[in-house]
Amino acid sequence: MNEVETARDTGFIDSVYCGSGVDGKGLRCVVFFSGCNLRCPFCHNPETLCKRGEPMRLDLLLDRLERYRAYFRRGGVTLSGGEPFLQRGFCLALLRALKDRGIRTCVETNGHIADGELIAACGEIVCDIKNQETDDLSAYDAFFALCKEGRVSLRATNVLVPGKNDTAEKIGALASLLRRSSVEEGIRFLPFRKLCLDKYRELGMVFPYVNIREAEEGDILRANIVFRQFI
Amino acid sequence: MAVREKEGAIDVRTFIQENYTPYEGGAEFLCGPTARTSALMEKVNALLKAERDKGGVLDIDTERVSSLLTYPAGYIDRENEIIVGLQTDAPLKRGVNPFGGIRMARQACEAYGYRLSDTVETEFSYKTTHNDAVFHAYTEEMKAVRHAGLLTGLPDAYGRGRIIGDYRRVALYGVDRLIEEKAAEKRAYGERDMSEETVRTLEELYKQIDFLKKLKEMALLYGIDISAPAKSAKEAIQWTYFAYLAAIKEQNGAAMSLGRVSTFFDIYLERDIAAGLLTEEGAQELIDDFVIKLRITRQLRTPEYNDLFGGDPTWTTESVGGMGEDGRTLVTKTSYRILNTLYNLGAAPEPNLTVLWSVRLPEPFKIFCAKLSIDTDSIQYENDDLMRPLYGDDYGIACCVSAMKIGKQMQFFGARCNLAKLLLLSLNGGKDEKSGKQLGPEGESFAGVLDYEKVRAAYYKYMAWLCRLYVNTLNVIHYMHDKYAYEKIQMALHDTEVERFLACGVAGFSVAVDSLSAIRYAKVTPVYNEEGIICDFKTEGDFPKYGNDDDRADDIAKDLIREFYEELKKTPAYRGAKHTLSVLTITSNVVYGKKTGATPDGRKAGEPFAPGANPMHERDVCGALASLNSVAKIPYDCCRDGISNTFSIVPSALGEDREGRAENLCDLLDGYFVQGAHHLNVNVFDREKLVAAMEHPELYPNVTIRVSGYAVNFHKLSRAHQLEVLRRTYHGRV
Repeated sequence: MNEVETARDTGFIDSVYCGSGVDGKGLRCVVFFSGCNLRCPFCHNPETLCKRGEPMRLDLLLDRLERYRAYFRRGGVTLSGGEPFLQRGFCLALLRALKDRGIRTCVETNGHIADGELIAACGEIVCDIKNQETDDLSAYDAFFALCKEGRVSLRATNVLVPGKNDTAEKIGALASLLRRSSVEEGIRFLPFRKLCLDKYRELGMVFPYVNIREAEEGDILRANIVFRQFI
Repeated sequence: MAVREKEGAIDVRTFIQENYTPYEGGAEFLCGPTARTSALMEKVNALLKAERDKGGVLDIDTERVSSLLTYPAGYIDRENEIIVGLQTDAPLKRGVNPFGGIRMARQACEAYGYRLSDTVETEFSYKTTHNDAVFHAYTEEMKAVRHAGLLTGLPDAYGRGRIIGDYRRVALYGVDRLIEEKAAEKRAYGERDMSEETVRTLEELYKQIDFLKKLKEMALLYGIDISAPAKSAKEAIQWTYFAYLAAIKEQNGAAMSLGRVSTFFDIYLERDIAAGLLTEEGAQELIDDFVIKLRITRQLRTPEYNDLFGGDPTWTTESVGGMGEDGRTLVTKTSYRILNTLYNLGAAPEPNLTVLWSVRLPEPFKIFCAKLSIDTDSIQYENDDLMRPLYGDDYGIACCVSAMKIGKQMQFFGARCNLAKLLLLSLNGGKDEKSGKQLGPEGESFAGVLDYEKVRAAYYKYMAWLCRLYVNTLNVIHYMHDKYAYEKIQMALHDTEVERFLACGVAGFSVAVDSLSAIRYAKVTPVYNEEGIICDFKTEGDFPKYGNDDDRADDIAKDLIREFYEELKKTPAYRGAKHTLSVLTITSNVVYGKKTGATPDGRKAGEPFAPGANPMHERDVCGALASLNSVAKIPYDCCRDGISNTFSIVPSALGEDREGRAENLCDLLDGYFVQGAHHLNVNVFDREKLVAAMEHPELYPNVTIRVSGYAVNFHKLSRAHQLEVLRRTYHGRV
């Protein structure tokens, strides 16, 4: 999907999953947006890259999410994907409508679309930093600056891929990025997993990281120790 | 604070309301097990291992018929027990109870390598059992639908159970006072004209009084006189336990539930603590000892019975918590203490600890329960905010999900009807899809692509036929149970003017709903065998499935259950009972599935149903909350006997750490129940853990899981049941 801007009342959605305890605080409904501006070789949701998704009307999506309000004492709605910010108009309309209804929002983004208006509309942002194939992290400086400006709570994650970004240099660079952007929460390393292999197979796609081993608890512990040395 | 017996009428509820101390704090006051408790529990664990090694039954007394005074006093470890009393003369030794049916008793003995003694056989050759009597009266049609599995699990060969005696009355009033009350009632009934009903009540009152006297004698076998009210916490627990013990010695009912004792005990415990007679450690020790006794209650069952009710359950259900009608919480320190036994003694399926959940429960208690679920998978939750307006604030749960006012209401357990099979029968013009026999009225057999409206009309017609037959069958069963296996001690602990429910049930609910949805929204064409009976279906296209919060499927579910309930009510129930309905299968969803041909939803012949009101395995794909929302739509006003939902979620999807998981579980329960849902069994584990437990049972002897309104030791389930549990949806997200 190439279109960057979609109509504000219709979005392209891969699926809505109602009931996650690990996509933001509390219980969440997760809206998976179709389409992404990146092609990460460890992508866990390849279906959002190659499928156009279902066109979904904003009002109908809101009605559907509204059904879960009773569970949202601590939680709310998480926008994930794909890259939610890619569908600017729809994403903005959805975030604002949820806010009007008193439902907390969280957006999981790759941080490559530094759009102040979008960022300011988010209740909370989880930004996954992609340093597996590059050392250029400059895109995040601008993004984090806007988060600060918009006073949006920000948490950073990083998928730890053995042999790719678990070196002291990589982790050091990550620490330095977070320090200069004063992201106080630090980083949460997510273990690289290959649970998505079946999805790639079904889609007839090649999983680029198929030969890399999964990260284990020990890898995460080590990465955390290394990270703390730099902070 | 004064604790004394109430003047005037028997009224435990008012005693509780006037004397209890609500507790809104956290769990920090709790004590671990004493050395004595741990040593005793070690002995019990060794016995449990021996029982397991012997194939599930440690020993059977084949010489005597179980009742209150049959056995001499029995002990686990006489010097070290605080609360005493065993069902037979030795722990885990099972007594024989042939009143439900001698054949069942005989087969049960044989299944475990024993032989029922000639003494018992001879004695019962002169007796009509409940089972004999029911079959004397059954019509051919009743036998046929029973045989085909359209009605299954009927309590016509075993004790019906699901009756909760108000065992607390014995502690509060002492047995003498209870006898006086019943004797006065009997005199009053004696003034009436001798209608059949009055004569029956007179005879029942005689039996009740007789058994209250036996209860006193039973306690005396242990050197304890329970004729007067209990004066201390230890006595209150002991008196209450004796009453419960008498019930399980007399009856082998399927579910012999305890009621709601913890907050009642709390009054005595707090008084003794305040008077310096007891420490917190001592209070916990009393509760631990009481619970050890409840954990080793046993009944002798046949293997066929285990197919229906897998894992050797007794449903010693204890209802904990809830709110009072005046807005104060009924949570007390003893609510915590009884739940704490799962930590002190280890996870276990019995007693069936049931938390009466209200959104207004004190927050620390909610979090404590949630953590307990995450740690032990041993408790279930039922919606107090839904039940309190109907049953007041002194009700209890019998079995899994059946609410009743303690001592004031009872039920006639009615097992269930197979809704999925009934649909196939409707499509086959009244013929059984398995045997080809004409079971119902002859009708048109469906041909070609199924038309939803026509199928619905036929289904309705056969539903009307079966509902009448079902209620009539239950009327026969319960007439005979009252006559030949009356629950003397349990009914002695009820008001004489008791309100009765006829508790009907359905199985195969989600299969029936999805099948109707397939017929409506996809293209379903029947496939026939050589005899012209539908043996399979060709289902083309997708269709909405129950369990995804999709109103198209969920509305079918709501309509179906309402229709069934309305039909049931058209046939009067025995003894003026009020019809109620449950969506609950226990573990019989496996057997019912076995007896049911392929269904239009794509389920193959013989495959298990989902349990209770659960969406069908792996069809609820929109997430845990969507699945819960679908079940929450089933109207409780049609299902007053309960709507069971067994829910499994993997820890890594529930939250990032223990605190987060507990908070999320609380939010999940609040969100589910605030929508009017009734029941939730909560399991928090990975499927892999169960696979490991299945392959290496010796390494996982205490893996406890909630299956369907109760909990089991996973290793006690049959292979078929274990596999069914593994096929269920484990809500997670990768």
